[in-house]
Amino acid sequence: MNLIVLFVAIPLGAAFLMPLLGRVARKIPDILANLANFSLLVLALLATKQGLVVYKIGGWEAVGGIPIGIYLVLDGLAVLMLLIVNVIGFLATFYSVAYMERYTDKPRYYTLFLLMIAGMNGVILSGDMFNIFVFMEIAAIASYALVAFGTEAEELEAAFKYQVLGTVASCFILFGIAIAYSLTGTLNMADMSRVIAQQGIGTPVFFVGTLFLVGFGLKAAIMPFHAWLPDAHPSAPAPISAMLSGVLIKAIGVYALCRVLFNVLGLGKVSSFLYILLVLGTLSMIAGSLLALGQRDFKRLLAYSSISQIGYIILAFGLGTPLGFLGGLFHLLNHATFKSLLFLNSGAVVYSTGNRDLKKMGGLSQRMPVTGTTSMIASMSISGIPPLSGFWSKLIIIIAAIQAQQFIFALLAVVVSIITLAYYLKVQKLAFFGKLGEAWQEIKEVPAVMCISMIILAVLCVGLGILLIPGIKAVILDPAVEVLYNGARYAQLILGS
Amino acid sequence: MNLLHYLIIIPFIVGLFCLVIPKKLSKLRDLLAIGGGLATFYFTIVIFLRKPVEWFYNDLLLLKVDNLSGFILLAIGLFGVLIVLYSLKFMAGKERLSEYYTYLLWTIGGACGAILANNLILLLVFWGFLGLTLYLLIGIGGPEATPAAKKTFIIVGGSDCLMILGIAIIWSLTGSLQMDNISIHLTGLLPTVAFLALAIASFAKAGAMPMHTWIPDCAEKAPIPVTAFLPASLDKLLGIYLLGRIAMDIFVMNKAMGTLLLIVGAVTIIAAVMMALVQHDLKKLLSYHAVSQVGYMVLGIGTGNPIGIAGGIFHMLNHAIYKSCLFLTGGAVEHRTQTTNLNRLGGLAKLMPITFITCLIAALSISGVPPFNGFVSKWMIYQGVIQLGKDGDKLWIIWLVAAMFGSALTLASFMKLIHSVFLGSPSPTTPRPVAKRNEVSFTMWMPMAILAGLCVIFGVFAYRVPLKNFIFSAVPGISFLGFWSPGLATLLIIIGIILGAIIYWLGNIKSLRTDTTYVGGEIIPQDNRVTGVDFYDTIKDLGPLKVIYKKSEKKLFDIYDQGARVIFLFTKGLKKIHTGLLPTYLIWVLMGTVILFFILVKG
Repeated sequence: MNLIVLFVAIPLGAAFLMPLLGRVARKIPDILANLANFSLLVLALLATKQGLVVYKIGGWEAVGGIPIGIYLVLDGLAVLMLLIVNVIGFLATFYSVAYMERYTDKPRYYTLFLLMIAGMNGVILSGDMFNIFVFMEIAAIASYALVAFGTEAEELEAAFKYQVLGTVASCFILFGIAIAYSLTGTLNMADMSRVIAQQGIGTPVFFVGTLFLVGFGLKAAIMPFHAWLPDAHPSAPAPISAMLSGVLIKAIGVYALCRVLFNVLGLGKVSSFLYILLVLGTLSMIAGSLLALGQRDFKRLLAYSSISQIGYIILAFGLGTPLGFLGGLFHLLNHATFKSLLFLNSGAVVYSTGNRDLKKMGGLSQRMPVTGTTSMIASMSISGIPPLSGFWSKLIIIIAAIQAQQFIFALLAVVVSIITLAYYLKVQKLAFFGKLGEAWQEIKEVPAVMCISMIILAVLCVGLGILLIPGIKAVILDPAVEVLYNGARYAQLILGS
Repeated sequence: MNLLHYLIIIPFIVGLFCLVIPKKLSKLRDLLAIGGGLATFYFTIVIFLRKPVEWFYNDLLLLKVDNLSGFILLAIGLFGVLIVLYSLKFMAGKERLSEYYTYLLWTIGGACGAILANNLILLLVFWGFLGLTLYLLIGIGGPEATPAAKKTFIIVGGSDCLMILGIAIIWSLTGSLQMDNISIHLTGLLPTVAFLALAIASFAKAGAMPMHTWIPDCAEKAPIPVTAFLPASLDKLLGIYLLGRIAMDIFVMNKAMGTLLLIVGAVTIIAAVMMALVQHDLKKLLSYHAVSQVGYMVLGIGTGNPIGIAGGIFHMLNHAIYKSCLFLTGGAVEHRTQTTNLNRLGGLAKLMPITFITCLIAALSISGVPPFNGFVSKWMIYQGVIQLGKDGDKLWIIWLVAAMFGSALTLASFMKLIHSVFLGSPSPTTPRPVAKRNEVSFTMWMPMAILAGLCVIFGVFAYRVPLKNFIFSAVPGISFLGFWSPGLATLLIIIGIILGAIIYWLGNIKSLRTDTTYVGGEIIPQDNRVTGVDFYDTIKDLGPLKVIYKKSEKKLFDIYDQGARVIFLFTKGLKKIHTGLLPTYLIWVLMGTVILFFILVKG
């Protein structure tokens, strides 16, 4: 039995046990969820040393050259994504221990949370198209329920919108998978890639590619498919917001999109697709930042900021150069850390003050030093202030854009970077500095478990720049860049011919 | 470990210690801060004497000291020590002091790093980090300072983002990030954009127009030592250093860019000094001069000839000295009287003599009165402009008139300042009147005195001390047009003063009679004083100037407010179409899908 099955098996198993054991004793849900996610974290760290692993579930070998079993594939890109999902997943669970005390039903919450993790890990590891769809639906449906977890009117409305648009996305994706299957006669991604390479990339492949672009674009909240996100992400409980913005849109959106477009359909060198990615990325980047600037609601501002930052990532991928992929993937990693941290900060503020309106806050750093300092670090990192992690990824993206002769996009990326700085300084000014409001004289810092999660993420925001040191870069980032840049080699590596 | 590392590592480590030391051990923290400052200063001296020093990492020249950076490091080290020393007393009892010293030390380390860096990315890292520490330092000023801190960081940090663009273009043009082996001719669009991007970053840091608007806001709200350290001295050193580097080393200048610098310089000199004339607040008045003087430096570098560039760089050094001195004296006044409103001050000359004399020296220096240092560097800049005219620039007379007129207005506004604060009669509205002679404490007047002393030494012994040791080696090929012999001139001035004194004593001038004011028998109100605040208010009502002053009060010339206005228009529009209605969003998805299919599948 290979270890990589555990990435899906552990959270699924824990999710199954949660309702059974959850009512036995009060502490059990916390312990079980944290244990499960901690072991996933350890596994993800171990996975960095694995190299390429192809695991055929049940030992089903290919029949007549066509792979028929379920494949799980661990390559450089999957390792990076697993690290992101499971590190943030664990920290969010740990944070939930204190935060979710305010809600009534911890076992159910953890069940959904673990299902979401199982779904994301499944999407990342899956080697065939249909399982990508299945796992994506597991993660997505769990997230619909989690957005509605507070069951207030606002949350239900947001979840409803999210679900409708999410289902539209799933339809497009399923449609795309069906047509791709009819074109190639296989569902295995590597095999499909091989067949498409043999047949040549024609209009049918473009058709399928566009279906996936719309479907996964909706999941990743790329403009103009972003409209569900600003409602859904703020409505969820804070650790879930952190998971949704920090991880989910990347795992079932950006990651799946890249995997399918670049590795399966082989569109990585097709200029029209790359250019569309550039344009859509830039649109999201600009519109997201402008909308964030106009927000007064802390969590909604962060949600719009996510759209903007995903725009950066898509823009970087659209450049199609190794440096662009490096910048995009590194930004993806960094965004997972600082955006989760910011959502956890917003959760801490809500926990202490019960308020999300920035205009009603002020001077909170004086009473909540840990939240204040960590949010400062995250804000500076996302705004690209050196030497924090976000600076390095933005630097690489801009340099990559110039290198690819896309000067206008580089300039726009720079301008948006300034706007980003502006709205995060606005958050700092309104929420954490300034005069301490009358109503907040008596508030206290949040419990230690929440602080610990935030501090660990802040340390990551400061220190992730070290991933660019050549020796470390060769272990984590370079293999992932290799997967996307040499997308056509995917089939060869998996099928081993 | 290389010698150069100490300059960066010592302030960072000591700063970290300051941050974690418990509040009770504040004495220890103060000692640590001053020790860190002194140690850094010591190493800047050692490095200055041993230059050139270089540090390679895998054959990559990352840090180096040459003739230009050597003396700037020295200045950073000196200012660091003086500001920490001054802060010990000035900041005592204020909140968040551990953070304050930490950020101060980190600023010193970051500034040393930025000056030492030979790699553009490394420069960018330190440069951006300095923006962050500046933001945090202004934030120490309390809740009221937060908006100013935000504005400052958006302008400074935003221009850092532009710097990324410039550096990326340089890299794509030359394939190198090492400043010492890049030389780009300014032909075509890309090199020009790169040059402008870096020039804007240097303008924002130094505070040249139109990126200057953060300086007055920052000076008003930030603690005075912070203003004296960053906008007044360190940021000038850094900004002009970068401008000098790009104009001399990285790019080969052409006429158009040179003229652009000249225009920026001339406009900055005149516009900022006009604003300074009508200020009613000591700190704001000084801050507008901090902007105006940058104009001279930019003008000097814009001339493109060695004497002009040398003048610009020398002026940068001089400005750092006298302007931080002026801010520190302003801080001393605030420390004693609790106000910097010129209306509520007056007659402090006798009560705070050291502050008065140092302020007077610095004021004369900034106004370009011989024999102080400001005169020498301005004189060199004038020569640079004249040289420009000799080389065929038809507009040279405009630049020269702007520079000289600006100098006259500077003198005028400092007469207002000196009169309102130190001369005249004490104001009855001073929040905490100074009853008897009450100079500020030793640790506060000492830095002021050292800086004022430097103003004198750099002026009187201009050739022997600063020019010979610092400037001439940094800018090769200087030839003087007209010769100014400061030693002789000083001698003549001193003789003149002695003669005046002799006449004063010999004649019977001392036995003058004072009497109450008599105005046609009217009863004169108690607070009828000549405050000096309204000295130049008439220019506010002069025809076209009236309009300009009105507009500038409405922030029409503030790039920050105007930029925000434009951006928010877009934001408003976007907010309007986000209605929150599901059918609308579904239509977007549908339209997006149709368009994507149309583009991708049809093509």
